Parts: sequence; C-alpha cells; structure tokens
Amino acid sequence: MNAPRSYSTPVAALAGLVMAFILLPVAFIALYAFNESGYLRLPPQGLTFHWFANFFAIARFRAALEASLIVSAVVAPACLLIAVPAALALARYRFPGRDAINALIMSPLVVPGVVIGISFLSLSARVGTGLGLVPIIVAMTCFAFPFAVRALAANLHGLDPRLEEAARNLGASRFNAFLFVTLPQLRPGLLAGGIFVFVEAIDNFSIAVFLTNARITTLPVESYSYIRDFDDPTVAAMAVLLMSLSAVLVFAIDRLVGLDRFLELK
Amino acid sequence: MRARPYLLLVPALAALAIFAAAFALFVTVSFSTATPGTVLTHGPATLANYRSVLASPLARDTAITTLRLAGLMTLLTALLGYPLAYVLARSPSRLLRRTVLFGLVVTFLSGGVTRAYAWLIILGNKGLINQTLVALGLSPVKLAYNETGVTIGVVHFLLPFFVLTLLAALKNIPLSLEEAARNLGASRWQVFIRVVLPLSIPGLVSAASLSFAGALSAFLFPELLGGGRVHMASNVIYETILTDFNLPRVAAMAALFLVLALAALALLGLLQRRSAHLWAGAGAKT
Repeated sequence: MNAPRSYSTPVAALAGLVMAFILLPVAFIALYAFNESGYLRLPPQGLTFHWFANFFAIARFRAALEASLIVSAVVAPACLLIAVPAALALARYRFPGRDAINALIMSPLVVPGVVIGISFLSLSARVGTGLGLVPIIVAMTCFAFPFAVRALAANLHGLDPRLEEAARNLGASRFNAFLFVTLPQLRPGLLAGGIFVFVEAIDNFSIAVFLTNARITTLPVESYSYIRDFDDPTVAAMAVLLMSLSAVLVFAIDRLVGLDRFLELK
Repeated sequence: MRARPYLLLVPALAALAIFAAAFALFVTVSFSTATPGTVLTHGPATLANYRSVLASPLARDTAITTLRLAGLMTLLTALLGYPLAYVLARSPSRLLRRTVLFGLVVTFLSGGVTRAYAWLIILGNKGLINQTLVALGLSPVKLAYNETGVTIGVVHFLLPFFVLTLLAALKNIPLSLEEAARNLGASRWQVFIRVVLPLSIPGLVSAASLSFAGALSAFLFPELLGGGRVHMASNVIYETILTDFNLPRVAAMAALFLVLALAALALLGLLQRRSAHLWAGAGAKT
C-alpha cells in the first residue's frame, strides 16, 4: 500500500510560496548587480560588469574589504582555539560548576548586538585603544566563540570516547591520542563552527558600527553608509560576490560533511 | 587529574572575562556623568541618566513598539515557516529537500546588509513593486520607510533560523504516528491539529524564542527600511549616540533595553521548559 502524503497540495503550494519569498531578494539582487542603469526594470536591460569594477575602484570599499577579511581571518581561528578545549571540557568531563560555566559561556548569545557594541565602545574609551581593528577583533571573538563551542560540543557528544581510550591503552600519549584520534573526527564541528563564526564576523553590523570611525570601517558598515549616499547597484555587486562566496562554502560543506549533518551541528 | 577541565576552560573564561569587564564598565558608565566635548565621563555615581531615560516619552514609546513589532514578526515567521518546515520534513523527494536546504543556507549566509538592501530595491518608493503598480496604471503603495517594510525585512531575515530549528524537531516525530492516525480515519487536518502540532510544541516554542530574540535586537533592518520612522530599541540607542555623544545616557538606555530583552527571553524560556515538560509524557522528548 502506498502511504498517503502527509500534506495536501495547498500546503505544499504555500510552502513553495514561502520559499519563493525567501529566495526573491537574493534573485533580484543578482539581476540588479548586472543591470546597466541605476534603476532596475523588468525585464533587466543590458548586461554589465561595470558595478563590480566600480566596487573595486572605490578605495574605501577596498579598504573595508581588506579590514573585514582581516577581522574574519583572525576571529575564526581565534574562536576555534578558544572553543576546542572548552568544548572538550564541557563534553568529556563532569566537574563542579560545569552547568554554570556552560550557561555563562552561552550568555553572550542572548545579549543584543547594540549592547555589546556599546560595552566594547566603553571599554576601548577607558583602555585608550581608540577605535579600529583591534577592538573589533576582540569584541567579535568574545561575542562569537560560543557558536563554535556549541557546534564542537554537539560534535563531541556524537563521538565514541572509547576510540581515544583504545589509543591510550595502545600507548599513545594523551596529546597524541587527541591529535590523531579525536581531532580528525572533529572535522564537521570545526568546519561548522569555523564557517559560522567567519560569516558572523564578516557580516556583523551592530557591533562593528560602534567601533569603526571615518578612517577604519568594515564592509557592512561601509556598504551601509554607501547605500545612504548613493543609489546605484555597486552594493548589489558586492552582495553577489559575498553570496557566491557563501554558495561555494555551502558546496564545500555538502561535499565534506553533508548538509544535513552540518545543520544538526549549528 | 581534577584540574584538567578547568585548565581546558582557561581561554574561554579569559574571553568571558574581557566580555564581563566591558560589560561592567558600560554599567558603571551608565551611572556617571559625561564630560562635555570628550568621550570621558566622571563621577560621582548618579541615577540621573536612568531617571531621564525613564521619564522620556520616546523611551516608553520605543519599548512598546519594540515588543509589539517583535511579537508580530515572530507570529508571522511562525505562520510562514511552519508549512515550509513541515513539507521539508515530510517530503519524499530527496532532491527537493536538498535544493531547499541549499537555498535556505545560502540565504542564511548571504548577510544582513545584502538582504536589507535587496528589500529596499524591491519595496522602495521607486522600487520594483511600485514600478510595476505604476506601469499597470495603479497608484503606488508605501511599503518602505514604515513598519510594513521593517516587518517584511525582519521576517525574511528570521525565516531560515526558524525553519532550520523547527525542521530538526519535526524530523523527530515518527511518521508512523501520522500514518496510524490516517489509517484510523482521521483527515490530514485532524492529524495535524491532534497529532503533529501538539508533538511539535517544544520545537515550535524554541524556534519562536530564537526568532523573538532576533526580532528584539533587530537593528539593520529598522535602520535601513524604517527610514528613521520606526523606533525599535537598537535604532533609538544608535541614533542617540550619533546625535549627542552622551555615552552615560546611551549606556543607561542600553542597560534598560538589556533588562527588557532578558526579561522577555526568560519568560519564553520558562514557557519552553513548561511545554517540554507538559508534552514529554506524550513522547515528544526533545
């Protein structure tokens, strides 16, 4: 007997509409980026790479892109270095204060970005570092590392600790057993946590906007101020570049660990 | 070795200590007085900032608008997201599931500024929708620079979070329960109302609280799509710091906002535990 479908056709159609709603802006931004004139009309007129060239021609965008890439490239590994030992402690050991420390580590995630931005603005004003890349990197690391802890702890819970014990019994040192037995199995968690933190750092606006100034900005802050002053598809071109990057990342995730598995670790 | 887990936690606790220091400093600043013309502040401790913020009509208006809009956004996200998550969880087609997941994750990773900007192009006064309306001889409608635009943008931003969270919960409900109900003569609608929905309550509440937290702290969307007319907490705080650099007053606003957000989230957390407890007996342990 064929099992009846769980949902009716109208429900499926509604789901399709919602999916179309989700994809709509992504599709339009892609059309707009290649559009010759500043206004988007349907059907789009002309095909140009002018706005991509314009993005790279603007010195402020180049500087912001560089700043954002530096921030993300420092923040993502920094978060993983903090998160791997923390996740190990939380997933593998039972010790007094474990639940409290776990709750404490996850607490930055519920604080609104603006409040974090103002906190680190107060801190940099007091310490005297001024604004710029260093406070942004510090703030983003403190804010984003819990995401990586969560992904890695979920990964560790799914592993069999007996494998590491077997390696220890066969004479491996504690460090070698971790390095050669456990760490390779942490690849999905490292990838999920690393990518999540990387994207969070490159896309963050609410914290960065308080820590940037006229000289040093990040990509989201710079594109925000560009949108306010100009009405042309340059930011759409940037968006297409970033979305292509995320599509490549998603393909890589699917190849390396499988999309379903990745989503369970998020 | 008993100290080992604590040693492993040292880097994380150091990061938390920096976070806590920044936090403590910002709370201290909220009790101080601004030194005019500088970023510096001076004592003695005073409640003046809190008093002036609480007395201002803008603050009350902002708190109400923020809670009201966040509630509306969460409701809309749940109404739109549930059918998609359900079809995704129950679709027999692997290709469809993978394609939709791919689209969701790319959208999810595509960034806030990108999406806010896209909605500006679509909803703006000379945007795509209004161009189409004018071309059809209809009068344009105001979709951006008001609450409508902000709500559309934020709901769109929240949907991937909501769908992916609820999807995990829906997948845990055994299909055999639905099949049994259907075989015993229940209609699809009855199966949904009597079997699926009750079993999905814990997942639904957790996905909804995630969305609510996101909606409460929405910043970029109200800023770009609200055009200065939609007063949500984050924007009012940001605009106050831009117009007069009075850090103590802004810190007091941020502290009050944090209290409001944490209280709302604690309430939802309570609801989540209650619902999980309530439905645990029905076999919906999540």
